[in-house]
Amino acid sequence: MEFKGLVACRAGVGSSLMLKIKLNQVINEHKLPIKIEHGSLDAVSGFKGVLIITLSDVAKELEAKKLPQKIIGIDNIMDKEEILTKLNAFLAAAE
Amino acid sequence: MLKDLTSEALVRLNIEAKDWEDAIRQAADALLQNGKIKPSYIDAIIKTVKETGPYIVLTKHVALPHARSEAGAIESAIGIATVKTPVVFGHKENDPVKYLFCLSAKDSESHINALADLTGLLDREDFYAMLDHAKDASEVIKYIQNL
Repeated sequence: MEFKGLVACRAGVGSSLMLKIKLNQVINEHKLPIKIEHGSLDAVSGFKGVLIITLSDVAKELEAKKLPQKIIGIDNIMDKEEILTKLNAFLAAAE
Repeated sequence: MLKDLTSEALVRLNIEAKDWEDAIRQAADALLQNGKIKPSYIDAIIKTVKETGPYIVLTKHVALPHARSEAGAIESAIGIATVKTPVVFGHKENDPVKYLFCLSAKDSESHINALADLTGLLDREDFYAMLDHAKDASEVIKYIQNL
């Protein structure tokens, strides 16, 4: 089974693009069953997948909205260990 | 490519900034002076950080100040700035910030390759060392052109 994840940031043109690059590196290196798309926070309400990945302080804001998706907040986008740990925790909980 | 979106005129080294807001204003001023953004774009960046936190601080000591295109992006561009004394943004993992890459994105496509280049550079210690030791903007641009 493959999970659909949305990478979102406020503007959808900067942070989320860089985060998407690093996420895809980690996903490809570890062959994780996650497919990433990206957009601004406006894309969140119409998003049908199960996972939203963003920067940590945006994650706090999204969590307050009680969305149906699991929210992952990344502190340091260059830290592949952090990304891998958080994606693996999501996958473990989803299985 | 990053080299297509930046230039010597967009580089500001060793800014003396009194706080994070001052650092953003000075870093973004290079884009303003070169017709890449309107003044409203800088205000939008500052406003968002004040209202919602330092989401533009992406990794250790690095910020990517940017806002939505509608806030006043004229042309896609990436500025490169370093501050003499690192400034605190209030980010629990990545403070203090020494390197600011101010991004103007006119649309959602034209800067993607440049950002990919920049993402690669943020993994490289020699990139930070070059920024720390560069004497002028031409050294920075030369490094980027030789990637």
